[in-house]
Amino acid sequence: MGEPASKIEVKNIKDIGLDEGAARLTPERIEKVINEVIDNETGARLKVYVDTCVHCGLCSEACHYYLSNDKNPVYAPAGKVKQTLWEIVEKKGKVSPDFIRRAAELCYTECNLCRRCAMYCPFGIDVAYMMLTMRRICHKLGVIPQYIQDTAQSHSATMNQMWVKEDEWIDTLFWQEEEAAEEIENLRIPLEKEGAEVMYSVIGPEPKFRAQLIYQAAVIMDVAGVDWTMPATPGWDNSDMAMYTGDNEMMGRLKKEHFETAMRLKVKKIVMGECGHAFRSVYDMGNRAVGWKMPPVQMVHALEFYYDLFKAGKIKVKEKYDKPVTLHDPCNVIRGRGLHEMARYVVNKVCETFIEMTPNREHNYCCCAGGGVINCGPPFRDKRVYSNRVKADQLAATKKKGVEVCIAPCHNCHGGLEDIIHHYKLGMELKFLGDIIYEVMEKPE
Amino acid sequence: MATIEFKGKEFDVDEDGFITDYKQWSQEWVEYVKEQEGIDELTDEHQLVVKVLQEYYEKNGIAPMVRVLSKLTKMKLKHIYELFPSGPGKGACKMAGLPKPTGCV
Repeated sequence: MGEPASKIEVKNIKDIGLDEGAARLTPERIEKVINEVIDNETGARLKVYVDTCVHCGLCSEACHYYLSNDKNPVYAPAGKVKQTLWEIVEKKGKVSPDFIRRAAELCYTECNLCRRCAMYCPFGIDVAYMMLTMRRICHKLGVIPQYIQDTAQSHSATMNQMWVKEDEWIDTLFWQEEEAAEEIENLRIPLEKEGAEVMYSVIGPEPKFRAQLIYQAAVIMDVAGVDWTMPATPGWDNSDMAMYTGDNEMMGRLKKEHFETAMRLKVKKIVMGECGHAFRSVYDMGNRAVGWKMPPVQMVHALEFYYDLFKAGKIKVKEKYDKPVTLHDPCNVIRGRGLHEMARYVVNKVCETFIEMTPNREHNYCCCAGGGVINCGPPFRDKRVYSNRVKADQLAATKKKGVEVCIAPCHNCHGGLEDIIHHYKLGMELKFLGDIIYEVMEKPE
Repeated sequence: MATIEFKGKEFDVDEDGFITDYKQWSQEWVEYVKEQEGIDELTDEHQLVVKVLQEYYEKNGIAPMVRVLSKLTKMKLKHIYELFPSGPGKGACKMAGLPKPTGCV
């Protein structure tokens, strides 16, 4: 791996949450919190990971941060663990406030928890788990970037991530029902329909700013004849930034609310919109935080849902989308759930020309926004854009083959890729898969 | 953090290009964001959106739901996106001098 990571200097980025949080720390408190987390929450898994890594460096080439920053070992996955948990375990928690300040910035803003490196590790060491454990320590120490902490606070106060009040949520659904009904006669967004087949859930930004996504989903549900409903109560938001700050208690409360809402409505399954991190929360981390090994109500991601609708012939295409497209595979639903072939089936159903980016499927490079990194806000924007030059190269290569539109079926990927496309002047359009389905599907006249 | 100079005014902005001090907002900023956002022509409707966002923000300390923006401007959702292609959370909030909203945006 070349130069030991500790010898390369890294400058801290100013952030009130990290700076003031670290200023309040004392060595005694750090040691106490670290040992509480290590002793009570980690167990054999962390020990095996720390003991097994042979520093072979195979993870380095898997990481977009490392590749985009001229192979600086500071950004190698094993290097990141070295600068955080290894040191902490070795010193049994006796580390300084400055160490925690740097470790916090690293674990929140220099790793997207995308798990690409875990696929290339000969032992399958899950670096994302290590970074999440570091975040857990930082959460308990109160050293968290301000923007993402604000979002976690919103979850805690409102059970959604955008400070949306109950009446505003309902009002937004009525409003989009009204606007959509101008296009499709008698279209309804059925609220609180007990016993419906499907509860449709979304993330906070949809009602807050991107209400057209709810409109489009309503049109798709209506045309496909799905028996569906949306809840009128908190529990409608499937997203979870608490999972990414390390607030595992809040993560549990959120998922409990979400699943209990579906149970109260007696639905058979929950279908969720095109969001990646929320899927990780409902299918892996959040459900397990409250003791459900698998989701207690069947969870269907939008990609799988679209696939089912097309397979069953419930949606027909009027005319395929004619601009050449490529597909960005989001980590949480591809590496996390294996939906890549279903996604391709749908893309080919609705688009005339589909050109793969390379690498693709579970080998795809991350958007560099996920894992809560984009949620850490403006102070860390340049770092994540510079740290994803490989993504820009990957997209530019598809453009050379004629691609005009990139489909990214995840909100965070969208935000991240938008910045990449803008910064590297790639001149590509960005779309959700639902945008295209809505555009090309047969609708009643 | 960077400082932008435009038509004789200075603005401190964050890495996403939002003003860091609301008090620095001025009509020159509106014109600057218009260029940044690739908006062809600045209309009274853009100014109305800016005014509504500012009034709401000054009262509540947060950007309104797009539903509230639609009610107060009497504009349909589609039209708000026609005015601000990058959306109410990005383009419109930026033009109005509000901080970048938190969350997955």
